[in-house]
Amino acid sequence: MNIPTMIYIRGYLKVRVRGEQLPSFINALSEAATPVWEIKPTGEQSAEFKLLLSDFKGLRPLLKKTGCRTTILERHGLPFRTSHLWKRKIFAAGMVIFFFTLMLLSSMVWNIEVEGNEKIASEDVLEAAHKEGVYTYQWIFRLKSLDRLSADLTAQIPGTSWVGVERKGTSITIQVVEASVPKKPVLQSPRHLVSTADAVITSIYAEKGVPKVQVNTRVKKGEVLISGILGDEENQRSVVAKGEVKGLVWHEYQIEVPLTKKKNVLTGEYKSKSYLVLGNRAVQLWGYGDVDYEVTKTLSLYDPLTWRTKPLPFGWMSEKVMEVQQTTETITEDEAKRQGLESAFRDILAKYGAETRLVGQKILHDKKENGKVYMKVLFEVEESISKELPIVYNQGE
Amino acid sequence: MSRISRNLQKWTQDILDLPQDLLFDLPRLTLIGNHELHIENHRGVIQFTSEKLVLSLNDGALEISGSGLSIRAIQSTEVTVAGKVQHIQYIERGGKP
Repeated sequence: MNIPTMIYIRGYLKVRVRGEQLPSFINALSEAATPVWEIKPTGEQSAEFKLLLSDFKGLRPLLKKTGCRTTILERHGLPFRTSHLWKRKIFAAGMVIFFFTLMLLSSMVWNIEVEGNEKIASEDVLEAAHKEGVYTYQWIFRLKSLDRLSADLTAQIPGTSWVGVERKGTSITIQVVEASVPKKPVLQSPRHLVSTADAVITSIYAEKGVPKVQVNTRVKKGEVLISGILGDEENQRSVVAKGEVKGLVWHEYQIEVPLTKKKNVLTGEYKSKSYLVLGNRAVQLWGYGDVDYEVTKTLSLYDPLTWRTKPLPFGWMSEKVMEVQQTTETITEDEAKRQGLESAFRDILAKYGAETRLVGQKILHDKKENGKVYMKVLFEVEESISKELPIVYNQGE
Repeated sequence: MSRISRNLQKWTQDILDLPQDLLFDLPRLTLIGNHELHIENHRGVIQFTSEKLVLSLNDGALEISGSGLSIRAIQSTEVTVAGKVQHIQYIERGGKP
């Protein structure tokens, strides 16, 4: 086969030739060593053939000699494509400009975020970053390497133990890890510790301040237990008194406990009802019929349809009507007393702290009346009795 | 070509056992099935339609008839014909083309 190579790149034509001396034209072509291919006769005196674009000009003398005429039928190949594109150069240029601007814009820093800072202001971090050449509308290729940036920023921003710089596309994230500084203790004003109740001291431990009472001392409510004023009258200094004081305290309780108790017990029998909820109306769909339980407890569960965690105004509601059996329990007087004392002591624990210890209890008076037990009880408990009292300087008249 | 040189050629051919087409410019035809015909040593096209192709040879003409004939490629001495070849007729010089 003698089709020339790279015909697509060089460009080729499909030509129709007409003339009486067609064979001699073909002979002339072959003698001139013009590569032509796919010569197809289309009639008595016409034929089509293909030839290279560069050989087309050379046809003219041959045509003149043989008296043939040509018509170009098809044009193929790169030269035609390029000339075609050249006609639309603005369009092509637009495409190029588009990609160019896209590249240009995507090689810019558009966004800088500072993360992980609590005490250091983001502005300070951004300012330090600006000095290092990290700012919006900066070229990405002009940035220093991220490792160096991170090291430089760590050195520049005080109070950080590490600064990480991460680039994702056109946005830069500056991750700040703040150096942990030990917490400063809360400032406290000088104070005394005073008693919360009338009590007898059982133990006193002063961490700071002057203890004013001793074990087995009887104190009144509001009396100073540990003083925050050190020194004598001439050389005074006030401090924050600190310590723990425990004392015996008496609490008087009026207790009443009923001897009979009503108890509700679910029997396990239930009936289900289902509703379709539309807006604020519910249409019952299932579970019609009378409920023949004497006492019931109803448990309803509304399940609205949701769209992305947003509840819609319609849904499904199911109700469970459960049978309840009521029983009456009678307890003895001793049991009632025991329960009353227990609940009273639980109350003390809740009010005066879990460290409270029961030392003794004394039932002062009890009576049974109207199915109830009434009691008056005195609890003797050991509890923490200290309370802070700020020292106020007497400015004088 | 003089008589002596012709005799010399004949002699070398006999001695060296060379193919005739190389020495005497005889046409060499290669027919692949009936759809491609390759002809070397032709002397030009005389007539060319899609049914009939007449090629000039050194000492006569070659008439190829068939249907849908086309010249796939042509050079000064070689031609490749594609299409359905039905007859190949060799016409001696002086005979009717």
